[in-house]
Amino acid sequence: MIGSGIKRGTAELAVLSVLQDGPLHGYELARRIEQQTDGALSFTLAALYPMLYRMEQQRWIRGTWETSANGRRRRCYRLTPAGKKKLSPLRREWAELFRALHQLTKVAHG
Amino acid sequence: MADWQELVRQRLAGLALDAAEKDDVHAELAAHLEDSYARFREEGLPEKEAIHRTLAHVADWRDLQRKIFVAKRRAHPMKKRVQQLWIPGLLTLTLSMMSLAALQKLGFQARIVWNGPTAILLYVPWLLSLPFFGALGACVSSRAGGSRRIALLASVFPVLALATAFLLMFPIGMIIEWVTGRVVDFSVVATALLMNGIGWLLVPGAALLAGGLLVNLLLSRESSSQHMAIG
Repeated sequence: MIGSGIKRGTAELAVLSVLQDGPLHGYELARRIEQQTDGALSFTLAALYPMLYRMEQQRWIRGTWETSANGRRRRCYRLTPAGKKKLSPLRREWAELFRALHQLTKVAHG
Repeated sequence: MADWQELVRQRLAGLALDAAEKDDVHAELAAHLEDSYARFREEGLPEKEAIHRTLAHVADWRDLQRKIFVAKRRAHPMKKRVQQLWIPGLLTLTLSMMSLAALQKLGFQARIVWNGPTAILLYVPWLLSLPFFGALGACVSSRAGGSRRIALLASVFPVLALATAFLLMFPIGMIIEWVTGRVVDFSVVATALLMNGIGWLLVPGAALLAGGLLVNLLLSRESSSQHMAIG
């Protein structure tokens, strides 16, 4: 199980990565992340929505209200150009971190 | 089937955002719960179990409300501090001072409980009114999204202000000493501060804190009972 501190740090990357494939509303976004990480990253409402609101303020994502075929209103989030720009360095940073940790583990066990 | 919109509206009733923003948050969270519930039903879960699992998405409604408020107001940290601490704190201070003045005007006198070199004076009717003001301060702070710690600070705000005023007596005494050339006996000042500190800070502080703690307890119970109510 991944600890809460790491989860917080990776959650933004997960949201940006998933939204790169197309706009999603909150529930579907959380579900997609949970599925794609085999349940390692899962969100309560208290973790998901405050984060989405913060990311919206940072202009990495944009939420708009949309009405589905059955008439239900859903707020859909999509990646903004600023979010797309943020994604590459964020991915690189995390990849570097994981590579460093992997190397450290190899040294520790070698 | 549960009315998710109504459920969210009730449980996040204290979300201190403007009406339109609050409605949007309610609608968005209700839609999330509705989708989750529909998914569980599609998977074949009975209604009661589906509701139970859907509500497990929110461990603590009060925490959710606070986090949403903080996230939405992140761009205005000063505004948040004013709404969560300064306004409720000053309200508690103003009301408690007005209450003291009114009681004195009505003829209620302080009771001397210890008559040593410096008497300890206690305004018992005023002290009895303080838990109410402490509770009010904590309540206003909580409704503005204040954490439990901030709500308690708002409830004891009057004694914090008085403590600051008391502590300022030392530098002010030194300035008076320097300006007038008269020697101030600081041991007398310290004794007076200690005695007054009990009557004006310690006991009123405990009374205000009692009110603040009661509100915290009630709000946390309300939050957990709301969680149990639907299932």
